[in-house]
Amino acid sequence: MGRQTNESLGYGCAYTPLVMLRAAGYDPYRVLPLTDSHDQAGLHLHDNLCPHVKKILDRAMGNDLPVLAGMIFMNSCDAMRRLPDAWRKVREGDRTVLVDLPVIADESAVRFFAGELRRLAGVLGEWSGSPVSDDRVKECIQEHNRLADTLSGLASKVNAGAYKGGRNTLQKAYAVAATKPLPEAIRYAEDVLSSGLKEKLSGSLPAVFLFGNILPDTEAFALFEASGARIVDEDLCTGSRLIQPVRIEDGEDLYTGLSRAILGRISCARTFNHARPGEIAQTVVERARACDAKGVIFHTAKFCDPYLARLPSIRETLRKEGIPILVLEGDCTTRSIGQHRTRIEAFIEMLG
Amino acid sequence: MLINYFDDLEKGIVSSINDQGGKASPRKLYSLEIARLGKRLYSGSNKVAWCGVTAPFDLLHAMGLTSCFVEFIGAMLASTGMAGSIIEESDHAGYSSDACSYHRAIMGAAMKDLMPAPEILVGTTVPCSGGLAVIENLARHFDKPLFILHIPQGDSDSDVAYLASQMKDLTGFVTEHTGIALDRGRLKAVIEKTNEARGIVNEIFDLAKHCPSPANSKDLNNFLITMALFLGSDESVSLARAYREEFAQRLSENRSGVHDEKVRLLWIQNRIQFKNPLVDTLEKEYRAVIVSDELNSITWGPIDPDDPFEGLARRAISIPFNGVTQRRIDHLKQLARNYKIQGAINPCNWGCRQGTGTRGLVEAGLREVGVPVLNLEVDCVDERKFTEGQFRTRIEAFMEMIQTRPNPWQQH
Amino acid sequence: MYYLGIDIGSLSCDAVLIDEGKNVKASSVVPTGARNRESIALATEIVMSRAGITGRDVKATVSTGYGRDRVEEKIASVTEITCHAKGMQALRAGAEVLIDIGGQDSKCIHMSDKTAVVNFAMNDKCAAGTGRFLEAMARALQVDIGEMGGLDKGARGGVTISSMCTVFAESEVVSLIAEGTGVNEIVKGLNRSIAARTVSLVKRVIPDYQGRPVAMSGGVAKNDGVVRAIEEALGCSVFVPDMPDTVGAFGAALFALERSTQ
Repeated sequence: MGRQTNESLGYGCAYTPLVMLRAAGYDPYRVLPLTDSHDQAGLHLHDNLCPHVKKILDRAMGNDLPVLAGMIFMNSCDAMRRLPDAWRKVREGDRTVLVDLPVIADESAVRFFAGELRRLAGVLGEWSGSPVSDDRVKECIQEHNRLADTLSGLASKVNAGAYKGGRNTLQKAYAVAATKPLPEAIRYAEDVLSSGLKEKLSGSLPAVFLFGNILPDTEAFALFEASGARIVDEDLCTGSRLIQPVRIEDGEDLYTGLSRAILGRISCARTFNHARPGEIAQTVVERARACDAKGVIFHTAKFCDPYLARLPSIRETLRKEGIPILVLEGDCTTRSIGQHRTRIEAFIEMLG
Repeated sequence: MLINYFDDLEKGIVSSINDQGGKASPRKLYSLEIARLGKRLYSGSNKVAWCGVTAPFDLLHAMGLTSCFVEFIGAMLASTGMAGSIIEESDHAGYSSDACSYHRAIMGAAMKDLMPAPEILVGTTVPCSGGLAVIENLARHFDKPLFILHIPQGDSDSDVAYLASQMKDLTGFVTEHTGIALDRGRLKAVIEKTNEARGIVNEIFDLAKHCPSPANSKDLNNFLITMALFLGSDESVSLARAYREEFAQRLSENRSGVHDEKVRLLWIQNRIQFKNPLVDTLEKEYRAVIVSDELNSITWGPIDPDDPFEGLARRAISIPFNGVTQRRIDHLKQLARNYKIQGAINPCNWGCRQGTGTRGLVEAGLREVGVPVLNLEVDCVDERKFTEGQFRTRIEAFMEMIQTRPNPWQQH
Repeated sequence: MYYLGIDIGSLSCDAVLIDEGKNVKASSVVPTGARNRESIALATEIVMSRAGITGRDVKATVSTGYGRDRVEEKIASVTEITCHAKGMQALRAGAEVLIDIGGQDSKCIHMSDKTAVVNFAMNDKCAAGTGRFLEAMARALQVDIGEMGGLDKGARGGVTISSMCTVFAESEVVSLIAEGTGVNEIVKGLNRSIAARTVSLVKRVIPDYQGRPVAMSGGVAKNDGVVRAIEEALGCSVFVPDMPDTVGAFGAALFALERSTQ
């Protein structure tokens, strides 16, 4: 067992190599864009930047954060790349590191990202005062996978069962996994899995596949349910993409394997397969088909270029397949979802 | 349609040069090169590579490809006043109106068959996620092979080596998909031309630093970002020479770019690409000259012609919109010092996350050296959104303010 | 002799006439019609008749505002940013922060004691947080725009209007009405959202604004509720002159005096 610091490290992107933060003795704490802090990030950034990133900065500016030993930033997109720039300005004393992140997963990218992970290990070792050992990383991968597997079991049950409040409950488990120490997150997820879901929804509502990026608010899922949307599977960065298992082939170098696992995970639109341009459209169709969805709801944070740019081809591909899509743009507030209620209800009536 | 446009443009410029007895201003030669690039792209007889902004165009040129960043199309459509209707086309396809209008125009142009089909596409992770996504979309649209260059954020030796190896892989990719092998001798000759042009361009910028500057606000409009497309060619060298000679001559005759220069301005990012009266207002009413552009700056060293990949990689990494914002701010401050800048204009192109994303940080940074910044919330491509009165008021108020401020570079 | 300042804004055309001692002799505010020239003529006529003078008594005219180039008799046109600063400096010596919220612009100006504009910023191009925004909200609430200033009285302030886009905010207001939220709470929510946006504009211009005297001009300054919300958000009191909507025209008149006697 490595030294536990009892300190937390903040992060904002689902690509963050959480196992390394834990191996360095820290609890990863995702700075979710849920806050009552004033809307003031536009002061340093721009009002037309991604609300996910602006809300994270609002939390930093409004001191709406737990004690953090540092912040880990990923170079995942333009908005995320600008976040550390502004963070350093508003919280000058904070320790921060920006990890570069390739957009494709070919061998040279895997090697480069492995190097970035080794660099991160060095930084974390300096911060904690003791080097990050390979053995500890491997242990943390196992613990992490236990959480990932439990959450995935819970998700399967929710996806299949249509439990009353099920989606809401699952989102709570994701939120705990994103912000609480690992043992607590595992316990929480296991408890919910064994006892939390009982009452089945009555009636047969049309099945919907939900995909997009940032939607961390449990209330949003309650609202989907109240609007009659029975979500049978989901692909969101604050949902099923949040905690993904790390599988490393036997005999592969640890960091190369970790790099390959992270770059090869179910991706957000910022990562793609250059050998199959526009693959995301096909993936959405396949996911929707796999869960027998009658329609697709796409929910994105406003101003998200990687998703907005792929939307026309996703729309077109779904149209050809005869699968209706509802596009919702939000600003990471529950109210923005509330505004969409009529549209969601009409969409469900249409799928009827 | 566009081939005719470029053809007419070329003919018009050539005949006007002939009318002047073969004499041409450097700006005219620059336009001529653009017309010729346009013709090469649209002729149907050249192998075209559509690229991201930071691709190594000289390397692709050495392999016989006509390469160009896709944003060139957005800018050309804007300058011809056609962007609006083409952007509408992409709106109809569900392309978000919150996205960058360079990219919306490009997607609209592709849908309207106004872009030639490429042999290959080369996406670059810098400057922006949006541009990279557009290249991926185009690869799907044209069903052509796509290569991605990941430009690292840092400039450590391993970062440089990573990019250099990707660029080597790019040459293999080109060979695989076009059958053209890399000729080392030709590459060497091309890189020597790149270095030559680089040296002259540096001299041009040094001349422009003079007070008053031999440059007017339009001389170097879009200059280096377009020059990057010509690097490695004989034409790039002769074009650079023409500028150098013109500026040197103006200096020797004590002719400034704008008569009675009073205020020196820095333009951040790209210019507004469609015709608009703002620059004329600045020059005529305030004797204010844009003497420097953020992207008119050589930030890289000469490239080793015998082993160019490392130098090409360093060049791509060095471009100021790569890396942390502090690096960009330091570069802007340096330009402000070198050119004795009294005010900066930042066109916050609607939908541009990378360039305008740190609007506030850039403004605060320049203010540290006494340079106020005017943030213009403008769409640089879609002329339909341009409301002249609003922009005039902002520009004029900014100039009224600068006139009452002490010049930060004047000795007291 | 007299000096005339004319401010041709998007919603109103204002004229202010001063004498050599900088005293205001008359002022007028008329709606800007489809034809700028007619509004200019009307506003000018009103001030001259109120002051009992003719065109020959006016030594110089300076125009400002969106339609400033339309004034034919002007000796100069100066932007409304500079004119507002000039006017406010004369009305409130020592004011350093000027918030001006007009029909379709809102701006914050950092002024120094020499009336020079040190820095300024204007809202983005949409009407968020401006007079037009408030008009649209008044329409959605079915209240008179002139009454809106006092309608937040007694509100606890639990309502937030998250969108500043006029269209989206309007639908938020409609759904709040449908939920049975009191008009006073909604108005307070609107005022606070304008205040929040204003504060961020102020911070952009003057990061260390605390402790500096703040003044406000423009038609929206007549709305007590908005002014109170801005005071709460800034944490200081805000000076509002008697006729906040003619500060720009007054500044222009001061320039007319200054420039014709130089």
